Amino acid sequence: MRIDSIDLFSALAAEMNAHPDQFRPLGEADMDVVIVMTSKRADSFAVRLAFEGIRCEHVVEAEADAPCEYRLVGPLTAWQAMFDDIAEHGRATGLQTINSLALLGNDIALGGTDPMGLDKFSRFNQTLQEFFDGASAVLALEVAP
Amino acid sequence: MSDVTKDYSKLPATSPLGAPLDWAWLRGAKSEWGVRPKPSPRGLTMLDIAVGSYGDVPEHPAHRSMAPRGADIEAGSPDMGYILNDKADVWADNTRELYEEAVARQWSATRDIPWGELQELDDDVEHAMCQLCTLLTEVEMIAADLPAKWMWRMNHEFIEAKMFLCTQMMDEARHAEVFRKRALANGGGLLLSRNGATSLLRTIIEAKSYTQATALMHLLGEGFVLDLFRMGELIAPSEVEKRIFRMCMQDEARHVAYGTMHIRYSVEHDPDVAEEIHEALDHGEMVLTEFGTAPDVSTALAVLLAGGVEDVESKGFPMSLEMSKKQFSSYLARCERAGISRLERTKLPLDLLGIDIETIRSAGRAA
Repeated sequence: MRIDSIDLFSALAAEMNAHPDQFRPLGEADMDVVIVMTSKRADSFAVRLAFEGIRCEHVVEAEADAPCEYRLVGPLTAWQAMFDDIAEHGRATGLQTINSLALLGNDIALGGTDPMGLDKFSRFNQTLQEFFDGASAVLALEVAP
Repeated sequence: MSDVTKDYSKLPATSPLGAPLDWAWLRGAKSEWGVRPKPSPRGLTMLDIAVGSYGDVPEHPAHRSMAPRGADIEAGSPDMGYILNDKADVWADNTRELYEEAVARQWSATRDIPWGELQELDDDVEHAMCQLCTLLTEVEMIAADLPAKWMWRMNHEFIEAKMFLCTQMMDEARHAEVFRKRALANGGGLLLSRNGATSLLRTIIEAKSYTQATALMHLLGEGFVLDLFRMGELIAPSEVEKRIFRMCMQDEARHVAYGTMHIRYSVEHDPDVAEEIHEALDHGEMVLTEFGTAPDVSTALAVLLAGGVEDVESKGFPMSLEMSKKQFSSYLARCERAGISRLERTKLPLDLLGIDIETIRSAGRAA
């Protein structure tokens, strides 16, 4: 499965929504996020994710500059490295956690115009991290015989 | 629902022992008796019950008692001695949302941290982590002490704000707990506490007004600590510390969200308060900068950023400077959002820090 695809993010949302027992202890999270993957060889891929309560309710392809509370923008190679790390270790490790990547800002940058929206990245960070970590199950399922 | 056709007039006026009885409450309260707030999918929230007059928070409450807002209040209710009697003194438009979020996102430093995954670290890295945890154990409780100092002075009509501050106190107790536990859990311990930290904390706790105090604590202090937690997650040597810093980061961001929107509400409703806030931040920025550049804090962070003492000069200090730039940028952007622009007033070396002023200004326009 390509990571710059609605298929992947729909599968991540399904993985989150299938595990309320994992996400309920983290508490409700309400945020509107755009993920942007840039590429030198193709158009950027952007997806808008709407988290409500303990679910990811909406996954839709979007424009890179679509309105949102915050966006995470980086080259496809950086996102691939993050998902590869998750697939290898079962969760993001070291500098491949979404906070580490966004704080360093070298590869994946956290953007947005409203500090109140930007701070939602911090307010719901564990939820977002575990949403991405769901890729370990999604990608493992894909390669399973 | 009360039955308006029912006649209660024949109920006794005195008890079997002869004490006078009052049946006034049987008439029901106001015209909203019978209005039923509808639970949302996640349950019956404080936002759901903010209906009709129950949701109206008065700008200047008529009472100074602990009577619940929305109740019929007997004339001559006692004065509890509140001094924060204007909504602008304590309110933020996101108070109810943040309270619900705080309640939903509580966690346990005992159960929710994978303590069993702690790893043996190099001596210098363990010392640096313990030094950072010593500092955080020391400073976190100020954000509990300060609301405690002011809460009993807040008019009870602003109950949601007081409830949110209660969650903040619980959060800070947990932060002090988790950093104390981490300092001890890996064979290290609590290290050096210098006077600089306490000087900063005294500046906050001794603020003359709650609005000055919240500007110093929520906007400045907790804003910086939020970025410090983000940095902590980055430099965490294992999943244990990563999880600690991520969980604390979530809590801290809520407190900053309250503070930012409280300052905004205050300034919008009482423009005179802006100068008072600026004065507090003029002083607070200086004290915080001295604290942040203190020799022990800066060296511990640099060692963690470098992954050890060997690369502290080539990697640790340059990264630390980059992180400081992000901290100051976030703080100044929040000030813009709070309606208290510091760009023309601050003594912080914006050029030296390489701060993009236009990006900061755009944060104010986002409001």
